[in-house]
Amino acid sequence: MSEKAIIEIRDLVKIYKGSEEPAINGISLDIYPGEIFGLLGPNGAGKTTTISILCGLFRATKGSVRIAGLDIHSNLNGIKQIIGVVPQDVALYPTLSAWENLTFFGNMYGLKGQHLREKIAEGFSVFGLEKHANKKIADCSGGIKRRINLIAGLLHDPRIIFLDEPTVGIDVQSRVVILDYLKELNKKGTTVIYTSHYMEEAEKLCTRVAIIDRGSVISMGNPRELLADHPEFKDLENIFLHLTGKDLRD
Amino acid sequence: MFKFFSACRKESLILLRDMAGLILLFVMPMIMVVILALVQEKGWSSITKDPSIPVLLVDEDQDTLGAKIEQGLKNSNIFKIYTSVDGKKLTRDLAREKIARGEYNVGVIIPKGATQIIRHKVQIMVTQIVSGIMMPVDNPFLDLQSNDSVNISVYFDPGIKGTFKYAFMATMKEYSMFIESSMIFGSFNSELKKMFPQYRPPKMDYKETVYFSEIFPAGKDEKALPSTTQHNVPAWALFAMFFIVIPMSGSMIKEREEGSLIRIYTMPVSYFTIFMAKVAVYTVVCVIQFILMMLAGRFVLPLANIAPLTIGSNYAGILLMMIASSLAALGFAIAVGTIARTHQQAASFGVVSVVVFTALGGLWVPVYFMPEVMRTIATFSPLNWGHVGFIDLFLRQATIIDVLPQILKLLGFFIVTISIALFYRRVNSPLNS
Repeated sequence: MSEKAIIEIRDLVKIYKGSEEPAINGISLDIYPGEIFGLLGPNGAGKTTTISILCGLFRATKGSVRIAGLDIHSNLNGIKQIIGVVPQDVALYPTLSAWENLTFFGNMYGLKGQHLREKIAEGFSVFGLEKHANKKIADCSGGIKRRINLIAGLLHDPRIIFLDEPTVGIDVQSRVVILDYLKELNKKGTTVIYTSHYMEEAEKLCTRVAIIDRGSVISMGNPRELLADHPEFKDLENIFLHLTGKDLRD
Repeated sequence: MFKFFSACRKESLILLRDMAGLILLFVMPMIMVVILALVQEKGWSSITKDPSIPVLLVDEDQDTLGAKIEQGLKNSNIFKIYTSVDGKKLTRDLAREKIARGEYNVGVIIPKGATQIIRHKVQIMVTQIVSGIMMPVDNPFLDLQSNDSVNISVYFDPGIKGTFKYAFMATMKEYSMFIESSMIFGSFNSELKKMFPQYRPPKMDYKETVYFSEIFPAGKDEKALPSTTQHNVPAWALFAMFFIVIPMSGSMIKEREEGSLIRIYTMPVSYFTIFMAKVAVYTVVCVIQFILMMLAGRFVLPLANIAPLTIGSNYAGILLMMIASSLAALGFAIAVGTIARTHQQAASFGVVSVVVFTALGGLWVPVYFMPEVMRTIATFSPLNWGHVGFIDLFLRQATIIDVLPQILKLLGFFIVTISIALFYRRVNSPLNS
């Protein structure tokens, strides 16, 4: 790709306090505007750590990250304006209603008034949540919570969205709605970086994937290219198992 | 500011939805103030007319001393005298048994012949004085003496407070001296009558010539009396205010556990904004809490015949003290909420430390009852600063300048605890994990 990368990661290393083993061990990769980029890997591979560093939640031990040309160390606040984050766990206030949660998080992105109300209503409409707007999060089902969790990260039309296993633990219907919406956003130019354990989902959704294991990228490319490189395997899941092994991980 | 107000709104909504938390914040402290004021009323009150401390009186003497002591105790308006229990006339053994069982706190046994012994001693003394006037030389009465003494036994419940015991004994000694003096005067009169038949004794109406006026200097207005209300309302209001450590630290830990804080960290808003919104909302909570407790002191306690709370007239000073005390309590709560990893840690450390601050601050036992070392330590308790400030405002007509040292100490405590929380958060931020 000749286009300038929207995310540039160079020699990224993360060693947690009190740990000797690096969680990320020298990852370098570029993600380009308009990509749906999948970070795949077994448990403990370093996916969530990588995303957390890109969102500004963790500080890297070594290496550099630039997002939309901004250095993450010196311009984190600028980066926070253009990214949207959908955490792995539902990160909402359980005693507030869906509408109140989204109003608060929208306000934190600087949205207000009619514009915010329209964005929330749009989110409810896309995810079929209109009748749940005034329901407390604590009273919502897991699938509804996941959908609201997703809307909360997208209200401000971010240029880049980070999603950490957004479809884990939800029914097929909710999964389809979420993935379709991500494709819609991507068509409008939003870059999507996403982690998942579902290989089939990644194969269908992602324009490129990186398979990470033990903190390093062990393979990267378009899912079709990866399948072409490994003709002995019929799908991404088998390539994944071939590359990462069948040993159980912590 | 827009994000700050939005965070305030969010914090208020979370608080309003937590019914149990609201009861804990507003209703429980009011109940606590009323109950503690009622329980401690007797110890503090100098205006109550409702005698209620039960005293068993066994009058084996059946003469002047027993009658006078009984009358004196009754007139004190503090003690309720029992000479029989369960339909049985009290005896020395029965009184001892009842007190040993903890059914009563005090028993007074006036031994048989006590009045006679006093009367005899007085007579010897008067005879010696009068004969000394009549026979200045070779007075045969000067060698007379009585070695008898009256031993009034006082039984105390072993669980009774030392201060109560001393106060009771002082009262008893006062009565016995008064009775002895009355007898001396009586004997003088009868001796003089014997010597001078034309002598007309004056009407015996012995009155103390030295008496004590209780004055409570309080600036312009000396009407304010120290009472259980004046001590308890600000004391327990501060105690409750510092108990904000439980809901506040709980809210902080919950926010971390639920992941909403993680989402906030990824948003273009400073943690300080979110943090100050919490402080603002909970400051309002603390101030409302304090006002409710003052209202309870003013209007509820009088329903139980307890003096109403008087708050003086420096409302601006009271508001400043309330805000400063609230901030000190919140600073502490934020520090606990930041450092504690679990609700259990926050709750147990929070509760114990507030109780320690309270005890050290002289809210349970007044500072002047403490040993000197503890009195020095008390000056480091934020609850003591708050309490001293409120007492100054309520009872001493203090100005804002007068309570400024307390306000500054409380604000200093807020700044120190907030700085500790921010420093701890910076060091232990997920960014540095």
